[in-house]
Amino acid sequence: MHYRGPSSTATLITCVYAILAIGVPCAARADWNIAAEAHVTHDNNVGNAESYSDIVSDSIVGATLSVFDLFPIGEGYTLTVGADLNGEHYNRLTGLSNATAGSSVALKKKWGLGAFVPWARIGFSLAHSDYDDDYRNATIYRGTLAAGRRLDERWNLWADYSFERSNAASQPEEVSGISGDAFSESSNNLGLHVEYSVYTNTYLNLAALLRHGDIVSTGEGSYQILDSARAIAEDPAFGPEDYAYRLTGTTLGFKAGVNYSPTAHSLIGFDFRRFDTRAYGGNDYTKSILEITADYAF
Amino acid sequence: MNKFIPAAVGIALLLEAGAGHAAQLHVTVKDLRGKPLSNAVVLATPVDSKAAAHARGPADAVDQVDKQFLPYVKAVYTGSKVWFPNNDNIRHQVYSFSQPKQFELPLYAGTEAPPVLFDKPGVVVLGCNIHDWMVGYIYVSETPFFATTDAAGAATLEDLPSGEYLVRVWHPGMQQAEQSTIKRLNVSAEETASVEWQLAVKPSLRVPRVSGAANPGYP
Repeated sequence: MHYRGPSSTATLITCVYAILAIGVPCAARADWNIAAEAHVTHDNNVGNAESYSDIVSDSIVGATLSVFDLFPIGEGYTLTVGADLNGEHYNRLTGLSNATAGSSVALKKKWGLGAFVPWARIGFSLAHSDYDDDYRNATIYRGTLAAGRRLDERWNLWADYSFERSNAASQPEEVSGISGDAFSESSNNLGLHVEYSVYTNTYLNLAALLRHGDIVSTGEGSYQILDSARAIAEDPAFGPEDYAYRLTGTTLGFKAGVNYSPTAHSLIGFDFRRFDTRAYGGNDYTKSILEITADYAF
Repeated sequence: MNKFIPAAVGIALLLEAGAGHAAQLHVTVKDLRGKPLSNAVVLATPVDSKAAAHARGPADAVDQVDKQFLPYVKAVYTGSKVWFPNNDNIRHQVYSFSQPKQFELPLYAGTEAPPVLFDKPGVVVLGCNIHDWMVGYIYVSETPFFATTDAAGAATLEDLPSGEYLVRVWHPGMQQAEQSTIKRLNVSAEETASVEWQLAVKPSLRVPRVSGAANPGYP
């Protein structure tokens, strides 16, 4: 079977997007929208490590600029074509600092008029992440299905499923017979989300998350993780003795947050996320993330 | 020909006011904490129905600016046509499910949309099918004497023929029945009348406009 590398696939999909971005406006008038986001995040286990001695926490500062074009294309259908640029700076693990450029296309269907009707959306996105430590550079593909309904001004419910594939360059084999492609991952993700408006400008959000697929755990390692790893590669972003192990595992998580809109165009959010992962063959770990976000929609 | 009707009515009103028969009614609306309430519609219904033989302009407008309806609350007289000009550089799809007027304008930009006739009294809630957070109200009044309060919670009803009126108030967030606000009062050209309400209002919850990256509600 012919192997198509990330760059050629990325080029192909970029061409498809370019055709959409140029072609669709010819068929329908476009409505441009621009949004910006900034966040400060604290992750208490960046490397997804089990052993206390391997756990590294870090603070991350990031920002995203998104541009998307909205095309109402008929009875209840809206097509969105967008692009975004994202940058993240890690305070301690500077090799993980990265810049990402991505694009997305999504088709949304609303069954009826107004804010309180059921909707569903299918989307696809493509992004390329460029890390300070190049060996982590990856092209990320994501397909998403989402559906939901806002019940009233207070309650908003939706669920989403996504398949995500991250392709990174394979690293030299560290252990004979075990792949060096430790930074390429595939996963299936399921989320159930609830929003509840408390006041005019304030709402709470809760989510339950389930993820199954590849996980990358970084540390000095053990016989147990060596046995169950499907790929192993050096991971000097964490330290000269550290290795990244690609495992298969299931993660259960939840998210709780509060959002406040100081103006019609802006949103400030604070959320907490907790993840509990069980990997095949052992290597169970937990991770907590605190994040403050600021969004602005033009 | 129709253009001459409001003009003629206006001249008649001026003559009437000049003759010393027109009165003013100053209104103040506050919440229970004494904070001024804007966007409250105050309506005066003459007890003598002959006094209601008065007319307003035949057309009005609710604008769309920065993905919001402007004004948030608009009062119009029954039988008015309302235009919905779109001053954003994107398209809107204005609709209402409300009993007094159900309508749906197609997606449009600028002033392409035809005016909508509001021929039954009551409250009409407006929305945009593309931008879920957009909400606005049209109060279709059965009486020609009405006004909407400003940021100071104040409004003035002008050109009221002297006489007895049933005056009431409506607000999008009011918790009590509109009919429970009715006050009976006399107005005359010699003396400016004033009336005040304190209303229990609930916070106006709205669909969030900026939803963050995690929320797929928009787009």
